[in-house]
Amino acid sequence: MKRIFIFSIILVLCLSTSVEAHRLHIIYKISEIEIQAYYAGGTPCRDANVKVYDSNGNLYIEGVTDDEGKFRFPPKTGVKEYKVVVEAVHMPGHKAETMINLTQETTTINTEIEMPLYSKVIAGFGYLSGLAGIAMIYAGWKMKEKNIKEKNKNRTK
Amino acid sequence: MVHISDGILSLPVLAVGWMVTLLLIAAALWWSKRKGNMVEEIPKLSVVTAAFFVASLIHIPVGPTSVHLILNGLVGVTLGMLSYPAIFIGLVLQAFLFGHGGVTVIGVNTLDMGIPALIAYGIFKLGKLNIKSLAPKLWLLGAIAGGVAVTLAVLFTAAMLLTLGEEYAWVAKALVVYHIPVIAIESFIVGSVVAFLARVKPELLNLEVEK
Repeated sequence: MKRIFIFSIILVLCLSTSVEAHRLHIIYKISEIEIQAYYAGGTPCRDANVKVYDSNGNLYIEGVTDDEGKFRFPPKTGVKEYKVVVEAVHMPGHKAETMINLTQETTTINTEIEMPLYSKVIAGFGYLSGLAGIAMIYAGWKMKEKNIKEKNKNRTK
Repeated sequence: MVHISDGILSLPVLAVGWMVTLLLIAAALWWSKRKGNMVEEIPKLSVVTAAFFVASLIHIPVGPTSVHLILNGLVGVTLGMLSYPAIFIGLVLQAFLFGHGGVTVIGVNTLDMGIPALIAYGIFKLGKLNIKSLAPKLWLLGAIAGGVAVTLAVLFTAAMLLTLGEEYAWVAKALVVYHIPVIAIESFIVGSVVAFLARVKPELLNLEVEK
């Protein structure tokens, strides 16, 4: 009986150490930041010059976007904030910049939900018809004024 | 691509752009008011402006990039003097809704596309005095006006970029080269539209077609 007791203790000890040895650890390191540049409407901005500045405004890395408009760069140790400037070389006049902040725990991806293109087109037509309407009202008002003046003139005659 | 965006051009260039644009808009409005046909022009003005506004979404892939239609020649031929304010309105909408070009450069961009539109109108007006209502000739005249408008718009934009100095020289060159297909396509479009309108509704082109 005593022997069984000792044996079971040893067994328990063995088991517990073996469990201890299998504890899983994770350490992490963010080794890449990916940005994507695209034109309104979703066309990726290829071969665009990318310049990454650190929080002090010093140029850190520069490069060119790939076919999908993407550019990846490793973060600098200790630097948590970057300014990314993308300039489309083939389309002079197309330039954009954004701030990346790594300390933000929540999704760092700056997903500005963009209005779909068709609704922008409709919005544009809306503005145009509104402008046309205003112009028409103005023109109609002028015509009315003119008519009244002419009537008055006829009356005085 | 002929839209220059914010933060590229220097302040004096931007200021000159705005001044010329505001003066020309005022002149165009004054001129058309004096002619007294504003009421008839308004629907045409808004339809053509809408076409101009949307044309910039039609992209044509050229080499490593893509260029879009401008249609300033069409605006010039159909609207005449009023094409300048029309292009201004179109560009304001494009800047705010599509992000084409920037807000501070609207003056310069309107100048780049508007003056060629006025020149296209001049060419068309001069040309139609000399030809009768023969459709093929009208087609050619429209095509020339459309092509010239785009060519000049591209050259004006390139010139604006060259005010920045030597480093933009190759960008300006690339701009011109990439737009050769656009010049061809727009010549075709404007020529076809002119020939079509001349047959269906010549009043829209202010054509007095002898029948």
